[in-house]
Order: sequence, then structure tokens, then C-alpha cells
Amino acid sequence: MYNSKVRGRLIQGDKSFGQISREILAPIDKTPIWWYFAFLVSLGMFGFGLYAKYITVSTGIGTWGVNNSSAWGWAIINFVWWIGIGHAGTAFSIFLLILRQKWRTAINRAAEAMTVVAVFCASLFPLLHMGRPWLFFFIFPYPNTRGPLWVNFNSPLFWDFVAISAYLLISASFWYFGMVPDFATIRDTAKSKIKKAVYGFFSFGWTGSSKEWLRFEALSFVLGGIAAVLVVSVHSIVSTDFAVSVVPGWHTTIFPPYFVIGAIFSGFAMVLTLVITMRGLYKMNDFITDSHVDAVCRVLIFISLIMGTAYTTEIFMAWYSGSDYEMYMFFQNRLFGDYAFEFWAMFVSNAVIPQLFWFKAVRRRMWMVFVISIIINIGMWFERFNIVITSTSRDFLPASWANYSPTWVEVGFFVGTLGMFLAGVLLFFRFIPMIAISELKSVAKFDKPNNGQLKPASHE
Amino acid sequence: MEERFVVSNRFKLITYALMGIGVVSFALGFIFDAERTWANYLLNNYYFVSLAVGAAFFGAIQYITQSGWSAMFKRVPEAMAAYFPIAAVLFLIMFFGMHSIFEWTHEDVVQHDHLLQHKSPYLNIPFFFIRVVIFFAVWIIMSKLLRKLSLQEDEVGGMVYFEKSELYSKIFIFIIAFSFSLFSVDMLMSLDPHWFSTLFAGKSFIAGFMHANSIIALIVILLSRNGYFKQMNRSHLHDFTRYIFMASIVWGYFNFAEFMLIWYGNIPEETSWFVHRWHGAYKVLFFANIILNWGIPFLALMPRKTSRGKRYMFPVILLLIIGQYTELYYIIWPSTVHEAKFGLLEIGTFLGFAGLFSWVVGTTLAKASLVPKNHPYLEESIHHHF
Repeated sequence: MYNSKVRGRLIQGDKSFGQISREILAPIDKTPIWWYFAFLVSLGMFGFGLYAKYITVSTGIGTWGVNNSSAWGWAIINFVWWIGIGHAGTAFSIFLLILRQKWRTAINRAAEAMTVVAVFCASLFPLLHMGRPWLFFFIFPYPNTRGPLWVNFNSPLFWDFVAISAYLLISASFWYFGMVPDFATIRDTAKSKIKKAVYGFFSFGWTGSSKEWLRFEALSFVLGGIAAVLVVSVHSIVSTDFAVSVVPGWHTTIFPPYFVIGAIFSGFAMVLTLVITMRGLYKMNDFITDSHVDAVCRVLIFISLIMGTAYTTEIFMAWYSGSDYEMYMFFQNRLFGDYAFEFWAMFVSNAVIPQLFWFKAVRRRMWMVFVISIIINIGMWFERFNIVITSTSRDFLPASWANYSPTWVEVGFFVGTLGMFLAGVLLFFRFIPMIAISELKSVAKFDKPNNGQLKPASHE
Repeated sequence: MEERFVVSNRFKLITYALMGIGVVSFALGFIFDAERTWANYLLNNYYFVSLAVGAAFFGAIQYITQSGWSAMFKRVPEAMAAYFPIAAVLFLIMFFGMHSIFEWTHEDVVQHDHLLQHKSPYLNIPFFFIRVVIFFAVWIIMSKLLRKLSLQEDEVGGMVYFEKSELYSKIFIFIIAFSFSLFSVDMLMSLDPHWFSTLFAGKSFIAGFMHANSIIALIVILLSRNGYFKQMNRSHLHDFTRYIFMASIVWGYFNFAEFMLIWYGNIPEETSWFVHRWHGAYKVLFFANIILNWGIPFLALMPRKTSRGKRYMFPVILLLIIGQYTELYYIIWPSTVHEAKFGLLEIGTFLGFAGLFSWVVGTTLAKASLVPKNHPYLEESIHHHF
């Protein structure tokens, strides 16, 4: 490995390995006051969500604003939104690993944690949308005594179930196994006996022998290989929920890659929100440096341009197709219709505002980056609104046209998942090293310019 | 480390001979079958310009991601992008063959077809050529700018040129994404003017990028066989393979997504395109296309051993060259010539264009030091190892 002098440093302040461990583990030992306050708030939101779920289950889906035309409503918008956010973790770990982007080491742990929580939040929506969630196991394909009654293997909703459960399993294992060496570090440095026992249990008796590292690397490699495929497949399959139909605005071949890119876009925006919070609250500036944030911002401009191109492609093709229904959907319904606000909110916040990242002055001001990352999150929510609602509220039969607005139960459900996400992230801050210590140390070795061994040029 | 590529007389002779074959087959083609000749002309024109676009994109991506490993080879994509000015002229010549290949240029057809009337503000000959001129103008300007900065860096050095190149690259990839999308719609999708697919542009783009990557790797391998790029090692080859491998997977993914959604939706106006390609020789090509562009690269380049060895990469790249031809033939022929004809005419035209392209790449490579000097990541590239 050879580093040019022009490359920036990944870790600031010439830290020793011990120092790196101590600084990253510090938050686990003492809990700041704001943490309790924030946790209480998130629990409150979570509780409100639980109440909304209780109403949904006890009274029924009728408490939602959905109607015969727009049968999906907020539940599916939020489902797609959360799944999208849940893409960042694995995208970070795998794609940036393949691309040998070493700056990922400071961020990947947080991104993976976020992924797992977000996928949990997402999975609640289809579950409760079933109406009779206690019969959810009907979706498992197994020889049963109900006929046997099989699931419809041609249905994208079933593919969804398979893809998401596989994704959850793999990303959770990937995240967990990555933490094992770090848990061992906590075990070895902890002073209290309980802590030693708990983290010792979760570290699987890790000793750090070279054999263990060998197996650890092999496992990461295999899991990473599977996860790389899943990052793409999950949101492609979510997109087929819409795209296999013949509904104007939904049936378009660009949907699978467009959804995947959108998912990575919203995921990266959420990662940015999260790491800036980490920097601010836990003073992790030496590990998550300005150039880390800068790199994520650059990725976001790039994806934002792809999003803009995809939006314009869709609009252009709607016109080019010459299909009356497609043209109605885009030009009368989306661009200038009842849902024009949602369309333009999506377009401006995803394709226009992120272009501010072109300016170094914006990328270096954390509050601006933070605000833009939030705007992207909101914009991506509007994108899902735009897709889910506009197409169904105006179907082929004008007599059944109906606008949709959510009731407090749906809003409460969403607020509940936000609370759940927040609580999950706070617990992560509190109990798990928020930066992968072992991985960070592996890059720390080469972080000094020309510090790597110089290999002879033609050695093979 | 002055290393200059020398164009040998043999190389010159071969390329001239190939170009001669091309001109002869193009001229003879008009005697036998004008329609088929123009279809051939379009196919090969698109074939090589997509390589130039893909190479320009490859070069730009290296700057944006600040990739170190590829610094040594950046003259190769630069040389491929030097094909743009010639391609522009060749595309303008297509003006004389528009009626033979594009259905929407026939006014009597358009008059009785309300869909084509609807599209006529976009699909008409003046606007078509205005677009061609604009696209080529920006491609030529941007690639020349980047080339100029790259050559200036050789003489002066410092970070200034690198940073400027990075900025231009960012603008360039956006221009490429936007222009090449419309370009592929114009040149390929509008051959069947009723049909539409939002993913078509993306699909064409990734096809061009994949094949450009393989041609870049091919040129590098050929140069190293002839004693250039002495510092090249297996890690570099592995990185080239990764680009091909990744693009091949994306290619497969896009093609699957498009086909599956259209098959599942089963709307006649969309399936019509595939129905024309689902019988006789075209059905064979349908599968050959998938096997050549996705199946073989995916399986053959997966093992570490094959992805790091010239011996293994070389045949895969040769198959990919055929793969791109197959794909374009499969897209263009059913809409223009209708009958699947393949003969000396096709081979001759392809050889002609290949000769021209090789001549452009060869002479451009010879114009500057083969390995750039003063590139900030050059040392990283030379000592690349993973």
C-alpha cells in the first residue's frame, strides 16, 4: 500500500492505538444528561406509535385515510422510505469496501446500525397493513393444513417478504460480527464485573489470535458478497411492487435502478444526519473529519444528478410514449395537478438543493450540510408520496377518483417508527462503540503519507 | 520515465488496409442492398462512438474518485476519446441514409399515424441533426479540454491541473449522462418509433461503458505485450477486470429489469419490440446477447486467478467485442433490415471502422508520453498492489 502525499489524513491528531480505543469507547462509560432526555422523548413517540398500532389492530384499517382507490396510503410510503434509508449501511460497507475507499471505516458502523433499525421500522408497515397481522405467517411458503394454501409466487409482495427478511438477516449478521472484536476490546478494558460479563458474552470469547482474524475476514468476505447483491435486489423488488402493474406512472422499466439509486441517496443523507450528530454530540471530529463529510457530500451530488436525470427521463418518456394515460399522469396529475406541491417538493429537494454541495463553503459548514441532509430525507419521503398516491388516486375509472389524506392514526404510526429509530440510535450510541475500532486501526497504520512499505514496482 | 508509443509501419499498413476494406464494402453495399448498408453504417458508427463515450466516462470517473491505481494508463482512454471529431463527421454523413433506416422520416407514414405525429416535434430530421451537432460539440470540447490539461500537467506539474481536471470531469459526466441518454434514444430506440422504455438509455449507457472498459483493458494488455507499461502488474489487471465485471452485472441487471417488467405488464405497445425479436435467428441472438455480455464475463472473471491474468482476460474481452456487436445487431436489424442477414458486407464494414478507430487511438497515443508525467497519483499507480 502506497499513499501519495496529496491524500488527506483519515485520523487527525497522531493518535496511538490505545488512544483511539479510549476515545471511541469513552461514551460507553459515561452517559450525558441530554441522552436521558432524548431517550425519554423517543420513548414518548414510540408509545404514541404503539397506541396508533393498537387502534389499527383493534378497530381496523378503516381508521386510516385509505380508500378504495388509494389503498396504500402512508403505510406504503413510509415502508419504502424506511427501506430506502436502510440501504446505506450495507452500501457503505460493501460498495465502498470494493472501491477501496478507506474513509468508510469511520462511518460504516453507524451506517450499519442505522440500517438494521430502519429495516425493522419498515417491516412494521406491511405487517400491520395486512389487516390481520396475527395471520402474517400465511406469507411463509410451507406445506400447511390450510388446503394446502400456497402463497402466490408470482406476486412481488411475496418477493418483497423474501428479499427483506434475507436482507435483515444478512445486514444484522454483518453488523454484529463486525462488532465482535470491538466487544472484546470493551470486555478487556471494562472495570465493572457486569460489563465484563455482558460484553464478554457478546464477544464470543474473542482473543484476537491470528486464526480468529483469518476466520473473521473470511466470514466478512462471504457475508459481504451476499449483502452486495441484496443491496441491489431489495429495492429492485420493492420497485416491482409498483412496476409490474399496468398503472400509469408505475409501469416503467427504469423503476428498479431508479429505486435502488434513490434508496442509496436517502440512506447516505441519513448517514450524514447521523454522523454530523455524532460529531457534534460526542466530539468525534478527529475520526469523522471534515473530509469524511466532504466525501459523503460529493457522493450525494453525484446521486442527486442521477435522480434529476431519472425524473426528467420519466417526464420525457411520458411525453415520448404518446400514451394518453402516461401524459395525463405526468403533466396533469403530477406536475400541475392536486399533488403538484408534493411533486415539486420532491424535485427541488432531491435534484436541486443538493447541488449546493458543489460549493466548498457549503460542504465545510456543518450546519448547512446537516440542514441539506434533512431536506433530502424529506424530499425522498415526498418522492414515495408522489409515486404511491398520485397514480392510485386517479385510476382508469374517473368515477372512482379520490384524493387521499392521512388520519392521525397513520401519522401516529409513522411518528412511532421515528421514535423507534431514534431510540435505537440512542441505544447504539450508549452501548456500542459507534466507530469500528478494529477497522479504524487497520487504516491508521497506513494513514501517514508514504508510511506503507514500498513494494518493488514489478514484483509479479 | 519518458515512454513513448511508436506507431509501427506494420500497424499503419494494417489499419489502412482495414479502412480500405471498409470503404470498399460500404461502396459495394449500395449495389446490393442500400438499406442494409445504412443499417451497417449506423451499427458501426454507434459501436465505436459508444466506446469513445465510455472511455471518456472512465477517464472522468478516475478524476472524480481520485483513483490512484489508474493514473499510469490515463492516456489510453484519452486516446479513445480522440475519436469524437471523426465520429461527428461520420454521423453527419448519415444524413443521406436517414430514409433507409428511420421509419419516422417518411412523411407519408407519419401522416397516417397519430403517435408519430405526436412525436414529430422531437423526431424530425432538422432537430435530429441539431442534436447530433450539439452532442458531438460538447463531447469534443470537453474531451479536448481534459486532454489539454493532461498534457500541460506533463510539462508543468503541480495540483492545479489535477484539480481543474476534476472539476471538468464532474461537469463532463453530467453532460455525458444527459446527452448520451438522448443520443441512444435517437439512434437506437427511435428505429422502432412506437416503442419506448425508460430504461433504454441507462441500458445503452452501461453497455457502452462495459465495452469501453474492456477495450481499454485490451489496449493496455496489447501495449504491455509489446513492451510498454513495464510497471503494470496483476493488481492493475484485477482493477480493470473489476470494472468490466461490475459493468457486466449492471448490464445484466438492467436488461433483466427491462425485460421482466415488460413481460409481466404484457401491454402490446411495449411487448411489440420483443415480439419482433422472439423468433428465428433473433431468438438465438437474444440468448447469445445475454450469454456473451453477462454470462461469460460473470462466470469467467469471478475467480481471482482469471481476473488477474492477461491470458484469461484476453479471450473474455474478445468475446465482449463480439458481444457488443451482437447486442447492437439485435437492436438495429429487426427494426431496419427485418431479415437477419449477415455476410461479408457486415464483416467488411466492421473491419473498416475497427481500422479507423485503431488508427485514431494509435496515432493519438504516439503524440504524448504513454505514461503521464507529474500526475499526483502516478507513484501510487506504479506501486499499486493489493
